[in-house]
Amino acid sequence: MHIPDGFLSARVWVPLDLAAAPAVAWLGRRAQRDFDHHRIPLMGVMGAFIFAAQMINFPVGNGTSGHLVGGALLSFTLGPAAASIVMTAILAIQALIFQDGGLLALGANVFNMAIAGVLAGYLPYLLLKGRKYGIFLGGVLSLLVSAILALVELALSGVPMPRAVLTVSVALFVVSAVVEGAITVAVVGALEKIQPGFLRRPAANGGSARIALALAASVLACAGVFVASQHPDGLERFAQKTGIWSNAKSVVHSPLADYQMAGGHWIGRSIAGLLGIGIVYLVCRVATRALSQRPGEGS
Amino acid sequence: MRHARIDRWSRLDSPVHRLHPVAKVLAALGMLVAVATMTKPVLHLVAVYFAMLGVCVLAARLPVVRMLTGAAVVLPFACAIGVVSILSGDPNRAIMLLVRSYLSSLTALLLVASTPLSELLGGLDRLGAPAFLLQVMQFLYRYLMVLREEASAMRDAAASRAGSVRILEFKKAAGAAGVLFARAHTRASAIHRAMVARGFDGRMPTFRPTPLLLSDAIFAAAAVCAVVAARLALK
Repeated sequence: MHIPDGFLSARVWVPLDLAAAPAVAWLGRRAQRDFDHHRIPLMGVMGAFIFAAQMINFPVGNGTSGHLVGGALLSFTLGPAAASIVMTAILAIQALIFQDGGLLALGANVFNMAIAGVLAGYLPYLLLKGRKYGIFLGGVLSLLVSAILALVELALSGVPMPRAVLTVSVALFVVSAVVEGAITVAVVGALEKIQPGFLRRPAANGGSARIALALAASVLACAGVFVASQHPDGLERFAQKTGIWSNAKSVVHSPLADYQMAGGHWIGRSIAGLLGIGIVYLVCRVATRALSQRPGEGS
Repeated sequence: MRHARIDRWSRLDSPVHRLHPVAKVLAALGMLVAVATMTKPVLHLVAVYFAMLGVCVLAARLPVVRMLTGAAVVLPFACAIGVVSILSGDPNRAIMLLVRSYLSSLTALLLVASTPLSELLGGLDRLGAPAFLLQVMQFLYRYLMVLREEASAMRDAAASRAGSVRILEFKKAAGAAGVLFARAHTRASAIHRAMVARGFDGRMPTFRPTPLLLSDAIFAAAAVCAVVAARLALK
């Protein structure tokens, strides 16, 4: 599910980097505001825990085994904003040290797994007030939403997805999502036996923006599944359609779109790519200045 | 262990290692963007980019073969999608997927193999990445190995008591994960206490700033210009 570099086209990775940078800055500020300062080591160590926990094999029958992915578990124990930051840190370390996922594609991976995935995992937990099936659903949704978003992004980038491949990958995603749900329930159960204080009970006044975002993510994912299942033999058509849609959108949003849509000329594409990087950088810089410059004040 | 090896490499000494992290990040980004926007398989261009990366690997005195195989971790996924591309009648795309993902992976590997992570994070800090995220990343990296060792020690302990635990039962595996979580949590509290004892007041000391020399700026500019010039010359 970690998209490497070289798979996404510029019209997919540039906007996603653009979206992910301020989102991460905002979530970072939120995570800092929610907690006192002992959370910085805690969040780092919990990220390392996710790496280590992936060594533990969960038998799922037939001699195969799954392992924890952890987005949902983190959101239940640290809260959604901190969980997003931890997942972002995990993805960044994986991209840098393990070449697992690309650097330019980091925005896409962060959006899929650290933002949409974590929020989609937290939403059922919040709505079902931490009941067992809410936890299960959280695990399932966190993985499913991330996987389907990755699939949609690859399709938008023009990676061919014939029906058979699509069917198999969606089936695999569903199975691993159910496994993740089951693992999450089991681990949460174990945690409650060990020390009940680990879980953060969903607050009654959970931020409405978070809920809206999580809802949007879930709806987007469901729409993706729906469209894919409606036109099982035509994901290319779906990609084409949505490709046109995103082109139209990027014309509105971005002056770079002309270059990309002109299509033929590589200079245009390179300039668009470089400008994209420049804009990502500027937005990063401004957002960081605006959002996370006052960590000391709150605490 | 992959990350221990990269950590060791990043502490070697060479002209590339001595470059400022900011310069290396900018050069790497230039290469990544150039590679990501290639759409036609132009053999000469790919060869030139590959040679440029190769020269850097040699100049950094990194083991060439292990770098090349290390960057190949992306190939299984790229090959799988490449086969699908060929089957759906688009061999060009398959070639480009392989080339782009491999060159990008090599670029990223070169960056981290020639820059210690703490310095790299310092460079990203200079470039304006959120400091909070960078601090979490640094803690994560620091305790990665520690917790992995704890997990494997737990596995050994369980194996010595219960025979083969290649496949733990589901519930036992969950229990193990829970215990690992609790230990990580306890460790984090201990770390925080130790930090407070040493005067931590909620603010992390910022990453040690190193001066950006003229030579660093020249390297970054030259690298980006070379990448662009190669694109201009070879169509």
